[in-house]
Amino acid sequence: MVELADISGLSQPSQEALKLVLDRCIRCNTCKYAYKEFTPTCPSGETFKFESYWASGRIRLARGLLTQRLKWTADMLDPIFACTACGACGDSCQAPHQDQIVDIIESLREFAVKSVGAPAKQARLVPPVAEHFNPYGAPHSDNAEIRAKYHLKPTASVVYFIGCTSNYRQQQLRDATLSVLQKLGVDFTVVDERCCGSPLIRTGQLDLVPGLMRYNADAIAATGAKTIVTSCSGCYRTMKKDFAKFGVDLGLEVLHSSEFINQKLTPAEIKRLQQKSGKNPAVTTVTYHDPCHLGHHMGVFDAPRELLVKIPGIKLVEMPRNRTSAWCCGAGGGVKIGYPEWAVHIARERVEEAHQTGATTLVSTCPFCKTNLSDANAQAGTDIDVIDLIELLDRAL
Amino acid sequence: MQNLTDHKKTEIKNRLVEIFGPQNVTDKEPDLYTYSYDATECEPHMPDFVALPETVDQVVAVVKLANDMEVPLIPYISGNNVGGLTIPVRGGIILDFSKRMNKILHVHESSMYAILEPGVTFGQLKKCLDDHHPSLRYSYPFAPPFSGAVGNALLSGMNNMSSAHGSMGDWINGIEVVLHDGTVARIGSCFLGKEFRTDNWHTRYPMPDLLGLFVNWQGMTGIVTKCAVQLWPRRPIEKAYVSFCYGFENTAELMRELGRAEIADDVLVVSVEVAKMLLGIPTPIKIPEEPDFAMLIQLSALTQKHLEAKYEIMQCILAKVNQKHGNKIFLTEFDAGASIVGESFRFAYDLPAVVTPLVEYSGLTWYGSYAPPEHLGVLLEKGTAIFHKYNFPPFVYSKIMKSGHYSLFRPIIRYKKDSEEERARSALEEFFALGVEYGCLPYKTPAWMCNRLKEFIDPNWLEFFKKVKGFMDPKGIFNPGRWGI
Repeated sequence: MVELADISGLSQPSQEALKLVLDRCIRCNTCKYAYKEFTPTCPSGETFKFESYWASGRIRLARGLLTQRLKWTADMLDPIFACTACGACGDSCQAPHQDQIVDIIESLREFAVKSVGAPAKQARLVPPVAEHFNPYGAPHSDNAEIRAKYHLKPTASVVYFIGCTSNYRQQQLRDATLSVLQKLGVDFTVVDERCCGSPLIRTGQLDLVPGLMRYNADAIAATGAKTIVTSCSGCYRTMKKDFAKFGVDLGLEVLHSSEFINQKLTPAEIKRLQQKSGKNPAVTTVTYHDPCHLGHHMGVFDAPRELLVKIPGIKLVEMPRNRTSAWCCGAGGGVKIGYPEWAVHIARERVEEAHQTGATTLVSTCPFCKTNLSDANAQAGTDIDVIDLIELLDRAL
Repeated sequence: MQNLTDHKKTEIKNRLVEIFGPQNVTDKEPDLYTYSYDATECEPHMPDFVALPETVDQVVAVVKLANDMEVPLIPYISGNNVGGLTIPVRGGIILDFSKRMNKILHVHESSMYAILEPGVTFGQLKKCLDDHHPSLRYSYPFAPPFSGAVGNALLSGMNNMSSAHGSMGDWINGIEVVLHDGTVARIGSCFLGKEFRTDNWHTRYPMPDLLGLFVNWQGMTGIVTKCAVQLWPRRPIEKAYVSFCYGFENTAELMRELGRAEIADDVLVVSVEVAKMLLGIPTPIKIPEEPDFAMLIQLSALTQKHLEAKYEIMQCILAKVNQKHGNKIFLTEFDAGASIVGESFRFAYDLPAVVTPLVEYSGLTWYGSYAPPEHLGVLLEKGTAIFHKYNFPPFVYSKIMKSGHYSLFRPIIRYKKDSEEERARSALEEFFALGVEYGCLPYKTPAWMCNRLKEFIDPNWLEFFKKVKGFMDPKGIFNPGRWGI
């Protein structure tokens, strides 16, 4: 038996995930492209190509490091961090560890951070979260202004968890979500929220994470809410999946805004709202981009599509790579901050794929996707609008 | 490798970068490590470089470089050959073809062949045919979709039409290959014409069959840059049957007779434990009342009557075998069988696919061999016993090949790489000994097994083999260490 590296300093979830690599993955390569579709789905592998840049290669690196056959060097960081952790590999993989591949990659990142430190660019995420509770370093907002503007009470049955990207960058999405929730008459409120921890988990920098989770859980619990709704796919995945892994039990239903609103919005309700607003949008052909944290990670594929086609005037056309074979927007997994040019390069492929469908609008359900797809759209000069589903809905109602 | 000096290494890297571009060459340890071992028991070795070829000119240039510098070249597609064949036992340069030199260059509808670059995978080929040439089909092994189609052909792998048409080595119409001095040669009917064309790759006969210098050589004689493989007409009716078999010799006899009848595309058996694995039972053990094997018989037909005739012949053969050995084999339609052994069994109908039991752990190895059909019964019986002896769940995979001229005997071991490899290796040694006793010839043979095999083969063959190798590769640059030389 080989002597394993000491990983006792890693978080418990990471220790468990890393130990999987000893007995899993023969490198059958099924993770490399969409199962049965045989189309490329791995941005990292497709770009950098060497085996170390595919999921199975990263599992090998983890195994090499854990068994101490490999030593930590600076060369190790790119294969470990140049990955959007989109989870397409997990959707393709047919082995028993398929649902743990992203966990293994993120654990490997924590292992790297603890062993040799985070890459310089990704390390820049931590100080602003520590100081301002958001990764953008924007002055922290306790959301009192929003509560006042929308007349939101301290207690409600639903908490809208805005998320840092919507609150500090893609504010149109925040405002559209607030607007739609009000139009639907939802009993909701917002809290003094902090970063959900997603960017730190994705980059293996976990020291602040449990504190952020506990703070948010307490703030939400104080509202007496039964449901959390978020318009950010990253927050959604984190609250629905990661909180429990870190021992923080929200004890609430967590829904993405597309799921929640899809449940609420009946055709009669749409008719009522349109009669009230007098809006009658023209027919628009749209295509839908599955955010990885919603689709590959959480399996939410139908709700956004169902909601989209409920919107009067919307004609949905699919991109060739959709649902489990969807191509990533390029922003996730710390790639937007760590490899900004490459992030946009990945998104350009997606924008071009969207454009090829003949759609005039590219719709997504994640502010981070919207940011990166918009950056790519601007860079490429593609003739397509990039918008979030909830913004589109708000415009129509 | 052979202790490259830093100076020499720098020179090689500089020249590799000139040939392939900096982004397509690596000598970084993490990158190299991922190519240093595979799922098998074969000993790991680090390459010195990995390069990603895209063009024939690049391959010519790297072969010349390798000859100049006397550095090994190891062709690599997906590295899942289950024989350690891409492990660089003497270091050197791995040429990873699956990333950039992976185009389907042409599909010839009327002559039914496809010209492939070396990195094409089964999944790619399947998609291409389904999308653009639906009247044609290729065939697929029980291998993951991201496995190399050209590599499998050059290594005489088998597939799901092998009971009718033999191993994939027989399906090659021609190749383009880069020889040790950088010469690019076309072999097969494609040798007609001064330049490469797509319309003349229809046969490898009747000219002297130089293809034999490359098929089954495990990349030891040249680097194949194009390969034409035969395609087959897709028949409108496909139907599969499952039989559950008690006993060994009767099972083997049924396989032989079905092969000779030439009615089936494929006739294979797996240990009944495999069916349990497909059901997700973690440590599958056969209970005494259960059959020993599940047999899959795949038929295809042009008309319903054609199918009915095949079915009638199959039933007659089964009745004859059961009459002779007692009623120990039960036939059912595939759909009914799948409902018994589990829906996941349906992968067999939808290849290329992942066979889930094969990807359960971190290790996978086999004794893959072509066996005399007459000994299939005893091989099935004794092979199963070896699994029990080494406490691995039996996973015998066997099929009749090419109308019964030969057969496949392949015991497969799934294991945990860091804790069970020694036991797996011991079991393999015993499978090897069993195979030698009954005339089996291992294919995709790992280097250690070739060394063992040398004890049992005609020394004059070995001498001739070495002479040919010396002629084809005077400086020993092509995948050295294979076949024990």
